[in-house]
Amino acid sequence: MEPSGMIPVTLTVNGRDYPLLVPRTERLLWTLRERLGLTGAKCGCGTNDCGACRVIVDGVARNSCVLLTRNMEGKSIETIEGLSDGLTLHPIQQAFIDAGAVQCGFCTPGMIMSAKALLDSNPDPTEEEVREAIKPNLCRCTGYVKIVEAVLLAARRMREADGENSAHAVAATGGVSA
Amino acid sequence: MGEERVIGQPRPIRDAASKVTGRKAYVGDMSLPGMLVGKLLLSDRPHARVLSVDTSEARTMPGVHAVVTWEDCPDVRYNSAQRMIDAQVPLTERVLAREVRHVGDRVAAVAAETEEQAMAALRAIRVTYEDLPAVLSIDEALAPGAEPVHGTSNVVGVLEKGDKDIEAHLAACPHVVSGSFSTPPIHQGAIETHCAMANWSEEGKLTVITPCQNSFAYRVILAQIFGLPLNRVRVVVPAIGGGFGGKLEMTIEPVAALLSRKARRPVKMVLSRKETIMATRVRHGSQSRVRMGVDDQGKLLAIDVDCETNTGAYAGSAFNVAGALLENPFQLYKAPYVHVRVRPVYTNTVPGGAMRGYGGPEVYFATECMVDRAARAIGADPVEFRRENIIAPDSLNEEGVPRGNPRPADCLERASELIRYEEERRAKKPGDDGGRFAWGIGVAVGSHGNNCHGVHRDVASPMIKMNEDGSAVLYTGSHEMGNDTLGTQAAIVSEVTGVPLDQVGIVASDTDTVLWHIGDYASRGTFVICAGVKRAAELMACELRREAAPLLGCDSSEVVLRDGRAMRGDGVPEVTLREVMIHCQAVTGRELCVHVTYEAPRGVCSYGAHAALVRVDRQTGEVRVERYVAVHDVGHVLNPLMLEGQLEGGIAMGLGYALSEQVSFGPDGRPVQQTLGRCGMPRATDMPLDLRTDFVCADGGEPDGPWGAKALGESPVVPVAPCIANAVSDAIGVDIHDLPMDPARVLEAMGRGEES
Repeated sequence: MEPSGMIPVTLTVNGRDYPLLVPRTERLLWTLRERLGLTGAKCGCGTNDCGACRVIVDGVARNSCVLLTRNMEGKSIETIEGLSDGLTLHPIQQAFIDAGAVQCGFCTPGMIMSAKALLDSNPDPTEEEVREAIKPNLCRCTGYVKIVEAVLLAARRMREADGENSAHAVAATGGVSA
Repeated sequence: MGEERVIGQPRPIRDAASKVTGRKAYVGDMSLPGMLVGKLLLSDRPHARVLSVDTSEARTMPGVHAVVTWEDCPDVRYNSAQRMIDAQVPLTERVLAREVRHVGDRVAAVAAETEEQAMAALRAIRVTYEDLPAVLSIDEALAPGAEPVHGTSNVVGVLEKGDKDIEAHLAACPHVVSGSFSTPPIHQGAIETHCAMANWSEEGKLTVITPCQNSFAYRVILAQIFGLPLNRVRVVVPAIGGGFGGKLEMTIEPVAALLSRKARRPVKMVLSRKETIMATRVRHGSQSRVRMGVDDQGKLLAIDVDCETNTGAYAGSAFNVAGALLENPFQLYKAPYVHVRVRPVYTNTVPGGAMRGYGGPEVYFATECMVDRAARAIGADPVEFRRENIIAPDSLNEEGVPRGNPRPADCLERASELIRYEEERRAKKPGDDGGRFAWGIGVAVGSHGNNCHGVHRDVASPMIKMNEDGSAVLYTGSHEMGNDTLGTQAAIVSEVTGVPLDQVGIVASDTDTVLWHIGDYASRGTFVICAGVKRAAELMACELRREAAPLLGCDSSEVVLRDGRAMRGDGVPEVTLREVMIHCQAVTGRELCVHVTYEAPRGVCSYGAHAALVRVDRQTGEVRVERYVAVHDVGHVLNPLMLEGQLEGGIAMGLGYALSEQVSFGPDGRPVQQTLGRCGMPRATDMPLDLRTDFVCADGGEPDGPWGAKALGESPVVPVAPCIANAVSDAIGVDIHDLPMDPARVLEAMGRGEES
């Protein structure tokens, strides 16, 4: 065994703080799954190849299977469990359903996290940009076609919703409500 | 057709919401009280006798509850692909090996409280081997004097079908073309690695929770190994993170069971990706020689295929895959003389198992490449040549049995249209004149069976019960692999009984609660299982009409079931199914539960024609697929959304097989590809930007299919590799013989072309 003194670290996951003691070599995926019970992120490879474990760290989609937990102090970690408030689905989740982008589902959480990181920074991506964003995510069921469609559908819906929200904001400040 | 309210509508997969929220519980996400972590010690040599396994240190290490070797195993040999309790199959495998036969063979296992403890204990196990000569390829295995992997010969058996006088028929053909082909083993590549949980109760009952495609077969094999009656083995499949055939044969489940029995605790094993590649199954590699005879008018007269498949270290699927492969050359062309011989061969490599297509992609790569060469031999266009020779609907198969409604010709026409075959064939492309890029167009057609008719039992046994509020539960043995097989079955129940779709519950793939199920393979889900569910639903509809009739004051034959209601034909009066069921329970005094054992009346095939436009980089050898078209004959489409997705996924899998995927073995017998990154599976950026798919359905679809439906399933993978190969050959003017067509191989082919 390698020397493995336990290291204190406070993880911030989906807006909640988790003070933990973890081995030096523990990787984030196992911390999420084994210590926090957040099993949405999956292990498909453990070698940075498949993206099933993808989470968003400070706005960037990363493979949690190769991130050391002790390096995550002070960073904001988003996982698939943080997307939905439990009442309504996030528009990307809904679009994955509507576009038929889900089959066996094992790659789905990681795929959605890649999509979210993309749309958070680029609300109107091209098809090529979507493909590039999900390139780290392997899927063996879908051939990616419906996944790309889902991300583009989500982007459109989110832009439309933003447009409506702005319209409502105008209405609330004295405009005429539609 | 056209009256259906649920069937034929686009629906996402039934459990999509659980999957997009990450709440779907796969086996790797589950735990039981007191559960231990199981880890495997795998052989690092391809062939050796295990002289001793010293576990003395490992057993005493912290957290270790059980260490098992061959000495702890029941002295039972089994076949990991056995399906039926009475099947006669070669028994070559043991839970843990006394003689290891491939790198990755199972030697020992540990159960400990944590993964780290289990890994530490594995490192403390000392194995002494006596190395034996290893055969690492089909050719080595067949060489005179080769070390046998089992018994006395590396040929597991010889399967042969068709015209014994094929030599004479070929000799009589004005034109004969011949070629040799090879296809590699590949990793099935489900994103979920293999995993299993096992637990023995104090009363001696074994429960195994595992993502497998054949729970009842696993039950049979586990019962054999541990000497149990079937009531004391329960196999439950809560979710599968991708199967593709890789989870059809039993692999680690008996090890988990052995550990659990010794530790008297539940044990969960989750393989790493490397272990899944080395210690489970791969697609059979193959090599084949094909000859085709043609007359001057372009009629394909004779086909001869002589093939070996690499079945690896254990018999497993050897005969099943070879047997399925054997049938394919009879399914597509009207050639009067066809002969096929297949010999599965043992090697000291990872066992060849099932993978989507099951012999089809292997043999169609060879035969569809040869069809292009046959066309060329008489100066015919490849599409025109196929058009002339392809089977027609209402024709008879090689045994004189009607084929039903096969539509490969329609697929070919539609695919040619979608790729704009005539235009593209004539069009000049930049680089055609010998510049950096070469452009080519190719087509290929393929088929895949829908069932096991004539091979073994080919049944479905769904059961349906009504609840007292008018909702229903379907009990089915089907394993949901992501193709929405369960959602489609629920839709059928809804369509036929009038119970709203969201009021049809499902209990599935649990050997203690559903009737015996044959397993999910052979693309049987639509043509057999869904047809069986439709039959069961019709029985339940009869019961509901009978119970509703007195409430409606009419004859049961007049009762219409729709939208959760029973009504007289003219719509008035009506009662809810809740009222019917309360009456049924309270007044008639009966519970409604029906089941059927439905047997498919005949074997059918699904077909697909693919076309590709490719660009080959003459400098790098890289093949880029510019446009890809796939048109399939699946009869009536039950759910267009999921079918499209399944087809697109099949194309991706086929593109990987064509261009980039393989599992190869080094001189030490180790798989060269030990990570997903090296397996060559296509990523989103590898997919053609211009991808067009379609389905053809004519004259009511496939007779005996539910609403005329038949499978898509495995068929999309089948035509891809030869389609790409034919396009690449068209581009560079050199024939392709071997997969994958990676850049090195394409450059090598071009070099060959320049020499000749």
